[in-house]
Amino acid sequence: MIRCVAWLPSLLALINLMRPSFFHHLHPPTIPAPQAQWRYTLGAGGIAVFLVLVLIITGALEMFYYTPTPDQAAHSVQTITYHVTMGGVIRNVHYWAAQFLMILMTVHLIRIVFTGAYKPPRRFNYLLGLALFVIVVLINFTGYILRWDQGIQWALVVGTNLLKTIPLMGDYLYEILIGGSQPGSATLIRFYAWHIFGLTLLAVILMGWHIFQVRRDGGIAVPPPSLRTDLQRITRYELVRREVLAMLLTSTVLIVVAGFAPAPIAAPIEEITAFSSDSRAPWFFLWVQQMLKWGDPFLWGVLAPLATLTVLVLIPYIFPHPHESELGRWFPKSNWLARLILTMIAVLVLGLTLLGV
Amino acid sequence: MPEIPRRDFLKLITTTLLTACGLLGLDTVIRFLHSPTNSPPQTVFDIGAALEYPVGTRTLLPQIPVVLIHDENGFSALSLICSHLGCTVEKKADGFICPCHGSHFGENGKVLRGPAGKELRSLRVETTPDGQLHLFLN
Repeated sequence: MIRCVAWLPSLLALINLMRPSFFHHLHPPTIPAPQAQWRYTLGAGGIAVFLVLVLIITGALEMFYYTPTPDQAAHSVQTITYHVTMGGVIRNVHYWAAQFLMILMTVHLIRIVFTGAYKPPRRFNYLLGLALFVIVVLINFTGYILRWDQGIQWALVVGTNLLKTIPLMGDYLYEILIGGSQPGSATLIRFYAWHIFGLTLLAVILMGWHIFQVRRDGGIAVPPPSLRTDLQRITRYELVRREVLAMLLTSTVLIVVAGFAPAPIAAPIEEITAFSSDSRAPWFFLWVQQMLKWGDPFLWGVLAPLATLTVLVLIPYIFPHPHESELGRWFPKSNWLARLILTMIAVLVLGLTLLGV
Repeated sequence: MPEIPRRDFLKLITTTLLTACGLLGLDTVIRFLHSPTNSPPQTVFDIGAALEYPVGTRTLLPQIPVVLIHDENGFSALSLICSHLGCTVEKKADGFICPCHGSHFGENGKVLRGPAGKELRSLRVETTPDGQLHLFLN
């Protein structure tokens, strides 16, 4: 113990030597103070990046024990959860970081629309953000399926059968995804490959691009200098200090939630067609499951979610943009229509989700 | 015929060739991914001797999953895979209910309540000369 403490000054000296660190290199020298506030950005984008880091680390650790075969998968998840030292914590943190990421992405999207920050030149980055949103939903779904237990059985069957309802190319798409005419070992290894590599690689590349594009577009959206009332700026040291604070808070919340609310787990699947009463979709698809109860699967399970996404894509293209002087704050008057549309979508999705809980 | 400047012509050729290469590559990847490696599911089931299922009985065979019906007309079977999106339906007092989206089917497989649009599939059952029952999924 004493020896460790003795090492501390030299360790600090080493960290000091490394300045200006790579961490600082990622930040602009200064940013406008009024927009660097929690109540403006909600810190959503930044925390989402941190959660992705947490997911990559905990996910890599899970890979040391997880076995992607139908007869081993659920058992290996049980081994990680109940047998491996600290395995339960790692898995719960991975699970909760993934769910928080979904929520923060949504909050981030709402923040962007409610502050009108998608206005050109940030329109392209808005699209990159939406693409990331879709990919993260797919990563979450494929990860959910990797449990290969009775809790995910119907989500797998329903989710993949929905592809079959697409006219002309449906069956072909289904076979590409499943690796046969019925879910089996090829399906699990395919979902595994998409989850840990294909989709994740795509997400990491898009994430880098998304962040790069923020700086390219001139940082957080603010009015031009001549229209600003507050010209104060904060330094990158202050920005990093706030980011570290956000990371510490997020880590605390993650560990506490992971300690009290374990990730779902169920008995292994015996046979893919065996009856299972656990029929609830993953929480972020409960709204789709609710719509599927209304009838035609192609209409409610494929077209309706795609239409929702299309409306989101069109927001910066068809609705009036906020005026330049209105940038950098919440609720700019001139984009009320975009805000109304997003609110309606949010209320609809939330309402349907609550019906399905 | 209008003349195309040499530069534009070469550009057009380059773009066309590059696009063709890209499409060929994409086609290769799609075909590669489409190659099925799951062993095809079993389609014929030997479900034992016909004598084990007397006239007037309905037997649940959960491992297939079907209900085997033996009435005056002979043997028939009803698939328990929901015709909506493929979940396995559950036997209730008045028919079958799908746990996923709540479709309700009657004892004979007819739709009593949606979202399912089609009735439960009727499957072919054959008796072999030595009195064994064979059930066909297709």
